Amino acid sequence: MDQGNIVICRCEEVTLKELIAAAETYRCSARELKLRTRAGMGCCGGRTCRRFIDMVARQATGEAPSHGIPLGYQPPVRPVAFGQLGGVIG
Amino acid sequence: MTDVLIVGAGPAGLSAAATCARHGLSVRVVDEFMKPGGRLLGQLHEEPDGTWWNGIEEARRLYEQAVGLGASVACGVSVYDAARGEEGWVVSTTEGILEAPVLLLATGAAETALPLPGWTIPGVMSIGAAQVMTNVHRVRVGERGVIIGVNILAVAIARELQLAGIHVDRMVLPPRNPVTQEAASPYHVMQSLLRVAHLAPSAFIRYGSRLVKSDPLLRLAVRCYPAGGVKMWRMPIHLRTAAVEILGTSKVEGVRLARVSPDGEPLPGTEHDIPADFVCIAGGLHPLAELAAVAGCPFAYLPELGGHVPLHNERMETPLAGLYVAGNITGIESAKVAMAQGAVAGLAIAEHLGRLRDRTALADAIAHVKRVRRSATIQFHPEIGRGRADVERMFQEQGISGK
Repeated sequence: MDQGNIVICRCEEVTLKELIAAAETYRCSARELKLRTRAGMGCCGGRTCRRFIDMVARQATGEAPSHGIPLGYQPPVRPVAFGQLGGVIG
Repeated sequence: MTDVLIVGAGPAGLSAAATCARHGLSVRVVDEFMKPGGRLLGQLHEEPDGTWWNGIEEARRLYEQAVGLGASVACGVSVYDAARGEEGWVVSTTEGILEAPVLLLATGAAETALPLPGWTIPGVMSIGAAQVMTNVHRVRVGERGVIIGVNILAVAIARELQLAGIHVDRMVLPPRNPVTQEAASPYHVMQSLLRVAHLAPSAFIRYGSRLVKSDPLLRLAVRCYPAGGVKMWRMPIHLRTAAVEILGTSKVEGVRLARVSPDGEPLPGTEHDIPADFVCIAGGLHPLAELAAVAGCPFAYLPELGGHVPLHNERMETPLAGLYVAGNITGIESAKVAMAQGAVAGLAIAEHLGRLRDRTALADAIAHVKRVRRSATIQFHPEIGRGRADVERMFQEQGISGK
């Protein structure tokens, strides 16, 4: 099977092929790649795929990893119920 | 009022909790798993001296010690945000908001995946998930498994599955693709395995590994690696065979293998299918540091430590006032190192809150971490010492803000 058909972001169903095509077209940062493809923007917050999005972006731009985190984290960093966010519980 | 809130009830968090409680501090520990112990719960292996390391026993000992000294430990509680408030840290949990002047993040490590075709089929799991199912939940993960990804953690867990009576058929490389990289290179994998070959149960592997010290010899060893793999505990470990696809529709039914060149390139015409009802993906570990990121802590990228780690010094302080880290969040090492780091964090916190009478205890604990690191049987990275020195230097350059 073609490795390009691998699903990288399971929440948003983005394949390796789609990520590589976007990365080669725009030669962009991991963050831009995420925004263009929606990879890493699903309900899990990119827990598994964020490092792959970063790898694909770096391979297209040739940039070395930096000390800053390439894809920022936003709370909630765990799935939570709406009631919890609204302050109904606790 | 809680003096210290600790996220993570693993070896680092529990030993820090005990240390803080011993110094008269009010300590609260939360962990999202249903049992305390963290990754200790999965660990069961024979040490080179013939004794057994039983992680469940270690976890019980640490938990009872912390609770006996007065720490409160709540399991099944997830933390989803941490922010600096006016008086201390405001931490959002699934049990409500908790506040404390000191926050210690001991969240450990997460597993790295190795994507390949079919990796989303039910029955494919991370090697750590198989370990937890086997050793914690006592659930049989399957009858016949294949491990994709060759590293020391996978070898150790494969042995645990075997001890539980589960047939692990073989261990193979992942396919070469843009997101598997070095994990799919026979040369790189051979290099990293040789660092732990002294632990092998077979004298053939132990002595053979000593001969392969130079790079040309290493390349020769990869070229000549036996097609049938090298057996460890009767399980063949393959470095010249990769899984190119996991087969099945609604569940795992098999794995498609191919022979690969010394560079990891699949050789045409060598594809063949083998049956399997579960697959474990073993891509190694990386520090789980998302809470440090949302808290606003600066990071350092140090591959020796497993990737991005929150900036910290040897006292386990981050540059943010009242924010501490300990255990695998600071770099991938053994549980024994994590325990020793937890004790350092506990003492540094006690000093910060004016409860440490014996200052030499902190210096002794820092020295103890280094001793434990040096005597570790498994170095997850050969340059771990350099990574530790680099993060310390970066911390000193940046300094502590807000103190």
